[in-house]
Parts: sequence; C-alpha cells; structure tokens
Amino acid sequence: MSRRHIYLLIALIVISPVFGVYLANLVGYHEPLDIIAEELGLSEAEFNWTPLKDYMVPGLPEWLGYILTGIIGVSIMLLLEAIVRHFILRKNK
Amino acid sequence: MHIPDGFLDPYTAIATYIVSLAIVGYAIKKSSLLDEIVLARVITLSAFIFVAQMIAWPVPGGTSLHLVGGALAGILLGPWLGALAMAIVLIIQCLVFHDGGITALGANMLNMAIVSVFMGYVLYRTVVKLIHSNVKFVRFIAGLIAGWISLALAGTLAGLEIGIAGYILNRISYSLMISLPSMAMWHTILGVIEGSITGSILSYIGSKYPKVIEGER
Repeated sequence: MSRRHIYLLIALIVISPVFGVYLANLVGYHEPLDIIAEELGLSEAEFNWTPLKDYMVPGLPEWLGYILTGIIGVSIMLLLEAIVRHFILRKNK
Repeated sequence: MHIPDGFLDPYTAIATYIVSLAIVGYAIKKSSLLDEIVLARVITLSAFIFVAQMIAWPVPGGTSLHLVGGALAGILLGPWLGALAMAIVLIIQCLVFHDGGITALGANMLNMAIVSVFMGYVLYRTVVKLIHSNVKFVRFIAGLIAGWISLALAGTLAGLEIGIAGYILNRISYSLMISLPSMAMWHTILGVIEGSITGSILSYIGSKYPKVIEGER
C-alpha cells in the first residue's frame, strides 16, 4: 500500500467518529435490517467473542475507541498482506 | 446489512456457509497466481471499504447507510478478487469487531461478497458495452446502475434469508411477507446512494488510471 493511500486512510479513520459515533448517537443509528428486526420481533443472540464489539475499546471514550478499532482493522489487513507476500508469493517465485 | 446471530435458522446458516466457502475458496485458489501488485490492490481496496463502512450517514426518513462496496470491488478487481477483498473485510468485521454474527457470516458473505460483487461486475460490463464508451459520464452511469442494483439484490437476498429462517423456525408464519419486500424496498432506495458513490469513485479512478478498472477489460 502506498504512503498516499495510508495517509488518506488515516484521514478517513480520524473523521469516522463524526459519522459513526456522533451523528449515529444523535439520530439513533439504525439500518433497514434493524427496522425489519423490530417488525418481526427479532433480537440479536447474546454471545460475544471479542472485547472490541461494535468498534469500541473497553475503558476508552466511544470516539477514541472508534478511531483505534479503525486503525486495528487496517493494521490486520496490512499484516495479512505481509504474511501472504512473505510465505506464499515468495514460495511461488 | 450485516445479519447478526439469532436471525437465521441452522439450515439457512449452514447452506449459506457452504455456498460462500466454496466460492471464496475457489477465489483463493485462483488468487494463488496473483503477484505482489495485485495483492497490494486487493488489500488496499479491502482497507478502504472497511473504513468506508465505518462512515455511516443518517438518512432523512429514519434510517442510516454506509457504502457496502461490493459492486466497486467487483468492478475494480474483477469478480473473483473482488469477492476475496470483500470476504477479507467481512471476516475481520465479524471476528474482530462482532459486526455481523458468526453464525450468519456465510449469509453475509453470500449477500455482500458474492451476489453484490458478481452482479456489480456483470452489470457494469453490460452497461459500458451498451452505452458507447465515448459517451461522457459512461463510468458514472454504469457504476450508478451496478452499485444500485447490486445493493438492491443483496438486500433482497438478506430479506429472503431472514424470511425463510422465520418460516423454518415458526417465528411468524408471514415473516417472509414482511422481510422480503421491506429489505428489497429499503435497499432499492438506498442503492441510489451506493450507486452514486460507486459511479463517482469509478469516474475519478477512470480519469486518472483507466487501466486499473478490471470491469472494462
């Protein structure tokens, strides 16, 4: 990934809490799926496997957790790229 | 559009897992021929779609939306690598951030990483061929239609899966009659915005780097 792409991603991650946290809390974020779930009386099963559920980090304010989880998500992808490049592409050469 | 745990019955969950894993598995097999440049493109697009999905806009009328990006991935990378890029996004969202249920990951991949990606790719190619390539805004128009219809279809399929699950689990006997038209209607409306964003991004990329759009080859 080029440096220019990384800078752009960082800029988007930094502004993301404005939409994903502030505006979402302001208007009560819900997608069409939530509307259908209400109509059908569906509720999400209560089990969890990650401390980063809903892009939040325990102990941190929502907006900071949102930024941090954005960075974590992109970092995992970059790590995946490095692993594939190291083990698979080198093997193919 | 990420279906959470508890919405699907075991049969639908298993069936969608099998279909999705078979197609994504085939995409991985095909991608074993990729080189470093293509790998970088797949990961870069995955990262941008992941971040774009975090930017949710409230919509007047009582709902919210974010870019799904399935059509965009299919058009830019081709259907197989596009499906792989979307699968990477969805698996990380599910496993790390609990965005979408682990029992519904197969269905979510089927809707957003397969149907949306393949339909977006096919529609884009069809529209570009139908409209003369010299026409101004051809990329925007083709991207608009591809993004719009692919999101509408993916949402409709999610509604079908939830409706079938309701029928199998005897939740509400008429659940399909609610979930299918509601999801189809909402995603057909919101698809206009998905299509507009897809078309705008393709217009920009096409003006700067026309050779990177796989849907035009």
